[in-house]
Amino acid sequence: MPSSPETRPSLMLRLLNARDEAAWTEFLAIYEPLILRLLRKHNLQDSDARDVCQQVLAAVACDLDQWKPDGAAASFRRWLFQIARHRVIKFLTRQRPWSVATGGTDAHELMAAQPDSQESLTAEFEVEYRQQLLLCAASQIRGEFRESTWLAFWKTCIDGRSIVDVADELGMTAGNVYVARSRIMARLRVRVAELQEQE
Amino acid sequence: MAIHPYPACDIGRLRRLLTDQLPERQQSEVAEHLVDCAGCRQTLESLAGDQSWWSEVESCLRTHAGEATDSAGLASPLHEPAEEDESFTADFVVDFLEPSEQPNVLGQLGEYEILDVIGRGGMGVVLKGYQRELARFVAVKVMAPHLASSGAARQRFVREARAAAAIVHPHVMPIHSVCTTARLPYLVMPFVACESLQQRIDRQGPLEIIEILRIGLQASHGLAASHAQGLVHRDIKPANILLEKSVDRVMLTDFGLARAVDDASLTRTGIVTGTPQYMSPEQSCGEALDARSDLFSLGSVLYAMCAGRPPFRAESALAVLRRIIDTQPRSLREINPNVPEWLELIVARLHDKSPDRRLQSANEVANLLEQCLAHVQQPTTADLPEILRAKPRVVRSALTTRWYLDRRVLAASAAAAVLFVGMWLSRSGPRMQQSASLGTTPQITAVQPQPAQPQSIPLQVPMVPLGESWDGTASDLQQLQLDLDAVEAGAKRIWDDNLVPVPVTSPDVSNGGKELDR
Repeated sequence: MPSSPETRPSLMLRLLNARDEAAWTEFLAIYEPLILRLLRKHNLQDSDARDVCQQVLAAVACDLDQWKPDGAAASFRRWLFQIARHRVIKFLTRQRPWSVATGGTDAHELMAAQPDSQESLTAEFEVEYRQQLLLCAASQIRGEFRESTWLAFWKTCIDGRSIVDVADELGMTAGNVYVARSRIMARLRVRVAELQEQE
Repeated sequence: MAIHPYPACDIGRLRRLLTDQLPERQQSEVAEHLVDCAGCRQTLESLAGDQSWWSEVESCLRTHAGEATDSAGLASPLHEPAEEDESFTADFVVDFLEPSEQPNVLGQLGEYEILDVIGRGGMGVVLKGYQRELARFVAVKVMAPHLASSGAARQRFVREARAAAAIVHPHVMPIHSVCTTARLPYLVMPFVACESLQQRIDRQGPLEIIEILRIGLQASHGLAASHAQGLVHRDIKPANILLEKSVDRVMLTDFGLARAVDDASLTRTGIVTGTPQYMSPEQSCGEALDARSDLFSLGSVLYAMCAGRPPFRAESALAVLRRIIDTQPRSLREINPNVPEWLELIVARLHDKSPDRRLQSANEVANLLEQCLAHVQQPTTADLPEILRAKPRVVRSALTTRWYLDRRVLAASAAAAVLFVGMWLSRSGPRMQQSASLGTTPQITAVQPQPAQPQSIPLQVPMVPLGESWDGTASDLQQLQLDLDAVEAGAKRIWDDNLVPVPVTSPDVSNGGKELDR
């Protein structure tokens, strides 16, 4: 007979463990914006997307009790990302067009017919997930660099402005702008790889 | 020579440059060289990442940087958060108001002259206004711009404002009017000189018992009125309970208006604008809510008045939620010995993790508190309510974990739940004794369960495939609830057939309730 439920310590409490808490925080940093974006893509308006996002995350939080450590490194983190992925795709599969709720506003009411195919949703999720890792990596590494280095990268690579212009504006040499943006690109690549590896 | 026409061309140096391992002097040398040498520029860029990486970064960051979820503000220079905060309030108020010619008036909003900013919350700003035609002061609550940009949020704002406006009750803050056509929707309430219960607790610490009962009573009357209209408040907390200054009348405010904000803020990484501390377990788990969720929160408010602090505290919002779901708060009487046992019991009856085991309505709570108040004021003539005279703590300790168990056990499978019934029966005797030995009044210790034989009784339990976990939808939850009911019915049959019924909550008549007010 398994150990009795009432003596079993809540696994959720296990999260009080600092390392797992860190994994959870990182999880939220990646997943919350990701879920919101996916939901918006599926035509939910902002506040409604937030509601549903909250439901998904709460559901994941409630799943935490089912975690069993397997002894491997970062086991909780890997597990967490896996179940969250599963849950998000499941939620999206059931996604119905949002209708303005009448009184009650629970996520269950938001979910209804016309499911997208599981495959296309999984593919969509992977694309968005990859982008989210990149965004997350970007905000994480930004602090490692001088502000001017970051802005040089941003204004030339993302805003597409000329090297000379930006160098002028930021009071840098053109050579340093070249260096700055390549440095950021290289660091981003490493960070994204790290984030992926941890799974 | 064609590719690297300068002696400075050195791929090793470029590598080290990328990872910031070159001494500064060499660094600027190479940087200078890059301006003239297209070959090295190309090499440097490909060392940083291939062409597809550069385009992936570019398109991803360009697409997403402007989004509302771009909390990191990748595209813009960094700011001190404090600066942003102030500018937010100032800009927002200035932008929104029409200019006014009156001195001492910030601006005009519809028919209201805006005199001052009273406060600012996650939802928006509260302004002090003056309505000239009716010569009265008003409080104007304006929705924050980031919420007003969402059509659904506006609709929610209006819907709930209307619902709240329909509640006419002395203990619910009235709503004069709602304006939905303005760029930012706003609602207008009377301007009342008041402090919030939160401010009172912060200032004063634990309140007097009689004050706690009075505030709790009025708040539950207000809640009852709202529940009668089918409106669940969802955000009962001391900050939303206002105490009118002169007469100390209690008024509930912020009906559901803050909900979207709080929901969102909950999981915000690191930043919690709303307090989850007064949420109910079902709210914490993101489950369907009814009026009984407000009652749990009311229990937390009573607790806070008794203890001077909320019942569930932890370092992070998530940890608070975990406590709400999993743990019992510290005993009130340990924190504040002035709290009578019956008051602790009322809080416990509101704090049951399972909505079904709580006091079931705000009216019921109001009745209890009313009788308690009478009892405190006139102990000799007014008795405590009967259900508070017994001390069914043994029962409570066994039952409060039930909701929690249900979810775990049933989420695994209904089949496991059958096992659980057997286990429960075989364990119930010792467990009760154990509870009794923890210093609570033993009322059940004499009863020993007879040997039960669950396998001999056919249980109609719908099977859930093993390994299929509960996935959080209402229908599944209902199904599980049905499973549970079936299991419970079976268990009850076994229990009824085998055991002596135990009057677990019968009042101790000899005590008369008079000595219990300690």
